[in-house]
Order: sequence, then C-alpha cells, then structure tokens
Amino acid sequence: MASGSGPRRDAWSKRVLTLTVMVAAAFVMLLGQLWYLQVLEGTKFRDMSEKNRIRVRPVAAPRGILFDRNGLALVDNRPAFTLSFIPREMEDRDTVLARLAVMLKIPLAELQDALAKVPADSLRPVRIRRDLSLEDVAKVEESKLDFPGVVVEVEPQRVYPTSTFAAHVLGYVREVSEEQMKQGRYRRGDMIGQTGLERLLDEHLRGRDGGERIEVDALGRSVQLMQREEPRPGAQVVTTVDRRIQEAAERAMSGLSGSVVVMDPKSGDILALTSSPAFGLDTFAGNMDRDAWVRLVKDPAHPLLNRSLQGQYPPGSVFKMIVTAAGLQEGSLTPMDRAYCNGEYSSGTRTWKDWKPGGHGHVDLRGAVVQSCDVFFYQYGLKVGPEAIARYARAFGLGSVTGVDLPGEKSGLVPSPEGRRERGRPWHSGDTLNMSIGQGALLVTPIQVARMTAAIANGGVLWKPRLIQKVERPDGKLAYSESTRMNGQVDLSPVVWAFLRQSMSGVVNDAVGTGAAARLPGLEIAGKTGTAQTIANSSSAKGQDHAWFASFAPVNDPQVVVVVFVEGGGHGGAIAAPIARQIYQAIFLEKVAMAALGTGS
Amino acid sequence: MILRIDRRLLQNVDWPLLAAALALICLSFISLWSLSPSGGIAFRQLVWVGVGSVAMLMVVALDYRNLVRAAPAFYVFGLGLLLTVFVLGRTVSGARRWIHLGPFTVQPSELFKLIFVLTLAWALTSRWGRPLSRGALIGTTALVGVPFILVVRQPDLGTALVLLPVLASVLIGLGIRLKIFVGLIAAGLALMPVAWLALKEYQRERLLVYIDPFRDPLGTAYNVIQAKIAIGSGQLLGKGVSGATQSRLAFLPERHTDFIFAVFAEMWGFAGCLVLIMAYGLLVLRGFEIAAGAREPRGRIVALGITALFATQTLINLGMVTGLLPVVGIPLPFMSYGGSSMVVSLMALGLLLSVRMRQFQ
Repeated sequence: MASGSGPRRDAWSKRVLTLTVMVAAAFVMLLGQLWYLQVLEGTKFRDMSEKNRIRVRPVAAPRGILFDRNGLALVDNRPAFTLSFIPREMEDRDTVLARLAVMLKIPLAELQDALAKVPADSLRPVRIRRDLSLEDVAKVEESKLDFPGVVVEVEPQRVYPTSTFAAHVLGYVREVSEEQMKQGRYRRGDMIGQTGLERLLDEHLRGRDGGERIEVDALGRSVQLMQREEPRPGAQVVTTVDRRIQEAAERAMSGLSGSVVVMDPKSGDILALTSSPAFGLDTFAGNMDRDAWVRLVKDPAHPLLNRSLQGQYPPGSVFKMIVTAAGLQEGSLTPMDRAYCNGEYSSGTRTWKDWKPGGHGHVDLRGAVVQSCDVFFYQYGLKVGPEAIARYARAFGLGSVTGVDLPGEKSGLVPSPEGRRERGRPWHSGDTLNMSIGQGALLVTPIQVARMTAAIANGGVLWKPRLIQKVERPDGKLAYSESTRMNGQVDLSPVVWAFLRQSMSGVVNDAVGTGAAARLPGLEIAGKTGTAQTIANSSSAKGQDHAWFASFAPVNDPQVVVVVFVEGGGHGGAIAAPIARQIYQAIFLEKVAMAALGTGS
Repeated sequence: MILRIDRRLLQNVDWPLLAAALALICLSFISLWSLSPSGGIAFRQLVWVGVGSVAMLMVVALDYRNLVRAAPAFYVFGLGLLLTVFVLGRTVSGARRWIHLGPFTVQPSELFKLIFVLTLAWALTSRWGRPLSRGALIGTTALVGVPFILVVRQPDLGTALVLLPVLASVLIGLGIRLKIFVGLIAAGLALMPVAWLALKEYQRERLLVYIDPFRDPLGTAYNVIQAKIAIGSGQLLGKGVSGATQSRLAFLPERHTDFIFAVFAEMWGFAGCLVLIMAYGLLVLRGFEIAAGAREPRGRIVALGITALFATQTLINLGMVTGLLPVVGIPLPFMSYGGSSMVVSLMALGLLLSVRMRQFQ
C-alpha cells in the first residue's frame, strides 16, 4: 500500500485498507456462493437444466365485488376459460395457429395479430379469446400435446344479475386498449373498468395477480406445483344503491327511453339510478368484435349515454316549483294571486298557448301548480322576473354539476338576462315567458332535478349525491369511505317550504291534479309533472315531448325522492307519474299492501 | 483542449489495471459471441469499446483536477439529462431510463454515476482544511438528494442503490465520525416512509417487486431461478459454448445484459468464474491502491469513489445473478452488453488512470 509520510496520510490509507478488506470479504462470499451452486449443488442444477421444464402461469386476481346498501351483490365473478399463448413456449407457430384457427373457428389473422404485438420470447400469456365454451376447452385440451405454448387459463370473469342491470352505474369492464397501455400502469390483456364505478374504483377493484411455477414432464403435463403466489383479490365496494329499488325502477322503465333517479332526501344517497336504453354489460366481458362495438356507439338510441347525468333536457313544468319558490320568497307572488286562464296568453304580437286547450278558468297559485297552468305562470313569471328566477334556479343547484361519483356529468344550463347580455345578445320578454314554464334555453339533468326535489323535501339541503359508502380491502381494512356531504343550502322561509310541499301534494292527491296517476293508497306522495317540448312552444307531435315527474314521499316525513324522465314520452302526468307509482309501490311494499287490506292508516 | 503528452505521465500508466479491464472486455466478447454466433451484438459492443476507449483517452488527457473543478457544470448538465428522462418518461411510458438521440438511446443515469463522483470530490474538498464540516455534509446531502430522488422515481432503483455505497465509501475514507455516519443512515431511513407516500400505487408495486421478486412470478422471479440453474449447471468446468443450453435456448432472460454472468458461468463453470472474479478483484484492488497512494484530496476522493463504483456494481450484479441479493437492474461493468454502460465504465477507468499518472506531479 501507499507509503505515507504524516499522520493524516496514514489514517487515509488505513481507512482505504478497511474498505478494501470489506470488499475483498464480499468477493470471497461470492466465490462461496458460486462454489455452493456450481460444485456442491451442480449436479442437481445440471439435471434441471437438461430437462428445463419449469413453466410459469399467472393466476388472475378476482375483481372486487360491488354490493348494494343491504349487502346484496350488484355484480359478482364466475370462473371462465381463456385461451392464451405463451410466445416463448410455442413451437412451429404457423402450423399451430392454422390448426387452432380451424378448430376454434377464429380468423387466422386475429391470432397472428395478437401474437405480433408481443416479443417472441415473452413469458407472459397473450390472451387470445376469453370465455371459451366448454366444447372448445375440450378440443384444445385434447390436442394439448401438439400445441406447446397454447394454454387454457381459468380467469374470474364478471357476471351480472341481468345483462343490463345498473349498467350505467356499474360501468363495463373491458380489456385494456392500446391507448390505455401508454399510461404504463397496465399490462397487456388486463381487464379494466372503462366506465361507471368500475372505472372510478378500478385501482381498488383490480387486486393483484398471482402466479405459480409448475414443473412439467416431457409431454407438457404438469408434474408438480413448485411455488404459488396467491392472487390478491380486489377490494369490495359497498354502494348506496338498493338493488330492489334499482330493479323496480328498471322494470318500470322497460321498453322506454329515459332515466330514473331515486334519492334519499335525508342523506343524498342514490338508491337507484337508471338510464335506458341500457347496454349489455356482458357483451364487453368476453371478446367483443369491432362491429358490435361500432353498432353500439352508433346506435341512434345512444345506449352508452348515461341520461341521468349526461342527458340535458328542458325541465318543463317541473321548473314551476322554482318560479313559485322565487316569487314567494321575494314577495312578488303570494298564495292569493289569481289569474284567469282561457288557454292562451298574448304578449306583443305573439300568442302563447297553455298546454290545455280552453284553459283552466280561474286559478290561484296553488291551483296553478296543481293543474300546471301555463297562463298563470306566464303572467306571474314576468312579475317575478327572469333575474330572480335564474338566481333561485342556481340556488337549487341547476346549471352546475351535482358532483356525483360517475364520470362525464353535464352541468345543464340556466339562462339569464345578464348572461345573455355578456354575450352581446338581447333578452326578450318571450324568453322570460319560456323560462317561466321551464322551456327555452333552460336545460337540466335528471340527477339535478332529483337533488332539487330532495331540497324541497328536506327544507333546503342540497346534497352531493352519494353513490359509494366504502371500499373495503380483503383483509377488512378500509381503503376509502365517503360520508354524506352537503354542497349547498337554499334558505327559504318555513312558510314557503310548507307551501311548496303542500302544493306538490295537491298535484298528486287533488282531484284535478296533473299527477293523479301517481296516487297510491296508503302513501301520501307529493310531486310535480312536467312535459318538456323539444321545440319550444311549437305544437309538436306528442311523441316528441319529454315526460317528467319529480316527486317525494311520504309528504310529512320524506324518505325517498323519485324522479322519472321519459324521453319522447308525452305528458308527464300520463307517462312519468304512473312509472313513479310503480317504483313507490316497490319501495313501500308493506305499507301499500296494508292499505290495500284495509288495515293500514 | 490541450493534450499534453508528458513522458512522466506515460511512465505511470497502471498496466495491471488496464490488463484487468482488457481481460474482462475479452471475456465479455466471448460470451456475447457465443450467444449469437453471427456475432452481431458482439461486434456492436466492440464499436462501443472503441468509442469508450477514445473517451477514456480524453479523460486521461484532461487533468482530473480540471474535471473536478468543472464538476458543478457537469452536475447541472447531468441533472438536466435526468429531468429530461423524467419528463419524456412520463409521455413515452415504458422507456423511462432512456433518451433517444437519433439512432442511439442514451441512459443518462449511467453517465450520472461519474458526474456523481466528480461532484462529491468537488463538494468535499471545498473545505478541505476542516474535512467533513457540518456545512460540507449538509451541502453534499443536498447535492446528492435531488438527483437521487429523480433516479428513484424513474424508477431506477439499481442506479440509486449504487450511488449510496459510493457516498458511504468516500465518507468513510475521509474519516467521518461513526456517530454522524449512523445518524445519516438513520435520517435516510426515516425519510423513506415520506417518499413512499409520495408514490402512486403502481409505482410502489414496481419498487416492491425489486425487493420481493416473487410478487411478480412471471418476471424477475423467473429470471432468478433460471439464472441459478444456468450457473449451477456449469459445475466445475462448464459446458462449453455448445453445451450451454440454458443460455442458447433462451431460457435465460436478459442474457446479454444484466444476466450475462450467468451465461459465462454456465459455459465456463467454477473455474471460469474464478478467473473472472480474479480479474474484477485485480481491478478493484488496483483501484483502492491508487486511492490509498493519491496524495492530493481531489485525487483521493475521485479514485476511491470510482473504485467504490466498480466494486458496488460488480458485487450487486453478481449478488443478484447468483441469488444472494434481490434483482435490481444493474449492469456488470465491462461485461454487460450496452453502450452507455461500456463507455461510462471506460471513462471511469480513465479517471483512475489519470489519478495514478498524476500522483507524483
């Protein structure tokens, strides 16, 4: 070593010597390990290398299950067979692919494409076809010896109560796309949530795949399991949905196009949320060919659209509750105000029609709500004023997203004279007339209407609609939980709240009420009908009007809000109200049954 | 750039050190050649040896003291490269450690290893009168911390793990007090949970796979078992080129890069490994001797840092291939196929030679 002169020099080289000794010791250890591997255990490893028949197989993790609020599964898993290639183990590719293509009736090009995407020495199975029929599985297993590197894996696959059940809430699961691969967090062939809660909670639901190492004999049959790493199942999700109510709502809407939102006005919990027509969740699970996908995307009925939060429609007469609230609270309208309705209202050179030819005769405010008299609201809407109407509409949460935990929510639109002025366009009195009956540029989503109705029912609380209660890991630990959250409060005097609720009760329970079709013995329901014209103020064909029914029950202690929207349904009272009735019947099954037996209150 | 050829300099060339490196390059060539008899990758690697040799000569010609003086500039440049990778790595996922420069891909973290050593020498000699003053320690920690975090987040745990022993060796060489040393390690450990929380779930998963390869049974765990079979089956004398089924039949993954030692061990057995390890031993021993013999503080730190770099990379790579350590992506200096690694290794060799040659100036 270096010859030092001076104490520091010595200290330095001494310390370097210490390091040298440490490194030398490490090299000796390494030689020891090599001696162990190559000389002591060499024979064993030589033997293993001569028949290197260790195969590795992934074991897919079951995706987490989603439950309803009562612990019923909304979606579950079942074992399914997947045909996979392991590129490194494949021999004589062309022949094998050709034979498989014929045997399983899969286009040869599809097999070649799938293999072309991965390196030839990849060990990771390339998923070719999911959900093989038992017949196909048997065929592949029979010719296993001829097809090295071709395996049938058992993978858990989603299974749904019915093909379209809660489709827009749950969302579909589909193999990761090329685009998503670029994020770097998925592996080819991963099944990931693409919409709805499956997408939102994908990270929690996915779990972690395991794997096993097996030794196979010369014929490719497994001899022994050498090591197994258990997959870690995904976390379980408890939603706020009530499966029974969801099913009832979907049943009530079958064959129709539209949406139902059922909400708990005391917490903002979403008990049911439907959008129809819905898409078949299970069509994505296996192998969806491109044509089927294009058909779905281009379907003129837009089944992929979640109408409850992505569909924006004029609210029609449902909006009269906002005008009433604004007028009463601001003092521009009183319960004693009256109007004579002869079926039309003239303003300037134009005439605005009431929905009822011939009109409603003399009506007061309550009567105008109960019978949904347009002429009354034309007249008093001008008095309340568009600014106040817009302000109260916004206070009730219209024009802004509710923040529900589903992707793609739309905010709707609340027009106002100021907004119009900012864009340099005039506001006419005709705009006010349109707005007074919920027409014109005004747009709302069904979930906004549900939140608004809940606020009327509970005295002003705007809830953030809650869909997820908690996410629980398999070990029982809480991964995520959400408590109920307010995102606004409407301040009206108690008298105004009482008036709104009582007049809405009249809509259903008065003899002349437009919502009489929702009447249910044994349950006092309050609601407001709406018939939204797609082309404002035109005498459009009935088929083009949208039907609304926004309601809650029981009136004295509101427990549920039910909002029904039927696209192109016609009159709210005739179409939407009976659907709400069916849903209430399912929710308050016992109460209604008791009333029918004459023992209820 | 002035290339002064001083006769005194040439007299002090460390031939055993050069011989050790040359031997390793030859062993690497044989291994690569036997993996692909057409010789494609072996010859491509020779091109990199050529490029690296020129770079090495340039490093030798430039006085290492000048390089240390310029270290802050290198440091900023290196940090810039790491940031580039970090930013590009986000958009072009998968290839996080590399930058594309025309037809080449460069791995900046490799180059940063050298810059790291130079920066250490610069920082720790700025107050040589009171070595390892508190200020010097804090400054050094800060200098080291930023790139370290960048490298970890790439994530390139391998490079990060190499930097720490290098730092530790230099600090031990400078006579850091045990109490402070232990304190630094404790502080580092204490910071780990914070870093952990900053990572996303899938990034954590990737790091966990480093530590526990069986979390990813199809990836690293498979590599380890196949590497062990390859090495063990070489037995005492090896199977020769044609008999090395593990390597030739492609059971062994990454066989020309990080796992090249397994190829070599299968072909040449324990006897061959002994020769290879002796070559690395010679390289490292000469390096330590140059460090011990250096009279001047910058030379000492550069020589010790570079030697520690070689030793750490070699030991971690061989440790992981033989199953003693978890699998982290670290190439074997002079052996693994790869341009960045080869050029940087030769430049590092140049630094060692340079310190030795100027020992008596």
